[in-house]
Amino acid sequence: MRHFLALPAIIYLLVLFYLPFLITLLYSFGFPGFTLKHYSEILDPLYLKVFINSLILASITTVLCFILAYPLSYYIALKAGKWKNFLLLLVILPFWISFLLRTYAIMTLLTPLGLMFTFPAVVIGMVYDYLPFMILPLYASLERVGRSQIEASYVLGAKPSQTFLKITLPLSKSGIFAGVLLVFIPALGEFVVPTMLGGTYATIGTITWDLFLRYHNWWKGSALSVVYMALVLLAITIYIKRSERIEL
Amino acid sequence: MIRFLVLLIFMFLYIPIVYVVASSFIDGGEITTKWFVKLFEDRDIVRSFYNSLSIALLSTLFSVILGSFAAYAFLKTNKRFESLFYTPIVIPEITEALSLLLFYRLLSFPLGFYSVLLGHIAFNIAFVFIIVNARLSSQLRSIEDASLTLGADEVQTFLRVTVPIAMPGIIAASLIAFTLSWDNFIKTVFTTGPGFQTLPLLIWSQAARGVVSPSLNALTTLMLFVSLFLAYLYAKISTKRE
Repeated sequence: MRHFLALPAIIYLLVLFYLPFLITLLYSFGFPGFTLKHYSEILDPLYLKVFINSLILASITTVLCFILAYPLSYYIALKAGKWKNFLLLLVILPFWISFLLRTYAIMTLLTPLGLMFTFPAVVIGMVYDYLPFMILPLYASLERVGRSQIEASYVLGAKPSQTFLKITLPLSKSGIFAGVLLVFIPALGEFVVPTMLGGTYATIGTITWDLFLRYHNWWKGSALSVVYMALVLLAITIYIKRSERIEL
Repeated sequence: MIRFLVLLIFMFLYIPIVYVVASSFIDGGEITTKWFVKLFEDRDIVRSFYNSLSIALLSTLFSVILGSFAAYAFLKTNKRFESLFYTPIVIPEITEALSLLLFYRLLSFPLGFYSVLLGHIAFNIAFVFIIVNARLSSQLRSIEDASLTLGADEVQTFLRVTVPIAMPGIIAASLIAFTLSWDNFIKTVFTTGPGFQTLPLLIWSQAARGVVSPSLNALTTLMLFVSLFLAYLYAKISTKRE
């Protein structure tokens, strides 16, 4: 009986979230007709270049975020002492501010530096926006590692580098994986940052925007979106499979 | 060494924000509030402000009601239905936004206030569900049973046991839902129609061309303060609970 209380919310999501996805799928096959031409058009070298652009940008962003976030998360989780809660607050605070505002904030600094509309500007903006998404899962996994296992390793005679490579790093693997996923997937479809800071740097996100809001090409836009969704679902499935294995 | 690096990273995260806020109070080396005064003299901005506010308030109201009841209904008993609420969180927003646009077009649903509101409620329901669901103790059932055994009827139990227990979660969820809706850009830009603008859309329409201006700084600062105030309330509520 009580379960019926969930019905309004479920119906709402089915109609305004799940059904629209089905419609996108239909459009990608040429609704109201049927054709595969929109998918084959996406394999065109022009679009392939956009996919590669997006992959490059998302990869660089993910790697840089990881390099910056790991020592930071390590410090907060294991070394910060009484500062821990305050530093954690500083990491969480940006989550309350939208990408649009944060990108504008970095834009006001990039403008006097003369970096606007360059590839480095896009990369800086991406790292700036996505860094907290990498820090938080890394912090959570390093926190779980805890000091005692690291100290045990020292007591048993391991050098700091050995301890890091054989204890800390492997034990934080689940956090690394989660962080990479949380940054890489949305970075692949990002369009606020490349548009505001990069001028003409085309990514999956900016092309989707153009196809929908500028050219009103719903069919090709849908096909592109379906391919992107497929990539996302693939990544999430791998993540779930992996985290099950780690838990075992 | 590592401390220095940590300091540098935090500077990287916060200098741009501090810079925007500071420059919105400065005019030619002097401290001023004139950029903010100008904001409130601009009719477009004031109208967009009210639009943003009403969308955020209404979407919070509806999503909190729907999402909380759904969390209460399941109380961690049905994993399969629960996952229905997780998908909207993991899916990239842009794919959700464009799907909704196609849906509205297919129905010839007029684009504007209502199309934006309905879209915001959809993703907020998912967030509210997850937050309230996480805060509702799985022991709630047995506490309710105790109340019923002790002679309270079902309505009394709901109002005096269930609601107070769920309240901190509901308040936390409302604050997050409001924030998400208040500064949402992607979903809004895809589902809005001519003539309906919110503050993020206004910022975008100027900033997308790479233009930095004092009035835009002031607008950004204003939006930042609202978000940070909500974050402050959230932190206050969560520490009080502990």
